[in-house]
Amino acid sequence: MRKRVTSAVWALVVNVVFWIIIPYYLGAFLASRVPQTPLAIPTFVYEFGVLFIILEVTAAFFQGKAIAVPFISGAAALTAVYLWLATNGGVLTVTSSGLTVGLGFTLLLYILILPSIWAAIRAPISYIVWRKAVLSEAQQTPAPTPA
Amino acid sequence: MKRKTPKGIWALRGVTIVIALAVLLVIGSIAYSAYEEVVTVRSELAGGSAQAPVTVTQQGSGEVLSVNLTIPNKGLYNLNVTVTCDYPSSNVVCQKASVSIAPGQEGSLKFKIAIVDLAAFSSSTNHRINGTVRAEMQPFVALSVSTDFGGFVSTGGA
Repeated sequence: MRKRVTSAVWALVVNVVFWIIIPYYLGAFLASRVPQTPLAIPTFVYEFGVLFIILEVTAAFFQGKAIAVPFISGAAALTAVYLWLATNGGVLTVTSSGLTVGLGFTLLLYILILPSIWAAIRAPISYIVWRKAVLSEAQQTPAPTPA
Repeated sequence: MKRKTPKGIWALRGVTIVIALAVLLVIGSIAYSAYEEVVTVRSELAGGSAQAPVTVTQQGSGEVLSVNLTIPNKGLYNLNVTVTCDYPSSNVVCQKASVSIAPGQEGSLKFKIAIVDLAAFSSSTNHRINGTVRAEMQPFVALSVSTDFGGFVSTGGA
């Protein structure tokens, strides 16, 4: 139990830094340097940050149990959605003093979200494979003889 | 007793490593290509070639802005550069220019904006010529910059 709580607290700290603190300062920096930047949307970042923290902390708390699998997959899938929304589907446009700069990278974005999608698929498969191995090991081990 | 890792888990880890390496390879090659292109284009625009890349010449009552760029593709991907512009009157003629450059090759981009009657252009209320430069590192990234090309041509002293 103590190990689970430590793991969950560690996940909480890491995810608060990664999904709340870093985006906040990055957004503030971008907003001060580039007006109308599409990334400087604090509420959007925080909503996703809170969801990530809930999923990651729950996954860390129930690590190794079947209940952790949907949380691991959910967090990975949410990463893919976050990347897609944060980059506006790979089409970013910034307009400043009569100059419009557009960046299109949809195919690159598909490649970037591939690891997250794979992580979402891998979590349940990994669990099934482990479970199967544990069960077959248990079947092969002879039952202890009563004393 | 420590449990032996099942073969299926090793296979899943293998797929994860392959995906991670593929993503790193793609990002690395794009970053390298973009860096090489930015350095090359900056040196070209700074007058690295013997001929000035942008010239403005008088032609009768009008003016012609010519851009003549030689773009070497030092990156790893095919490079497409297109320059277009738009003006809502026949007084300004824009010639669309496009070049596709294979890696390791050089391409020439010649673009012209002709103002037929400079006096009429100067006296008009709209001096804005909407121009767009689009550079595509095929098939992954496309960068477009849109600005007023009217600022590059003179307005007859106006």
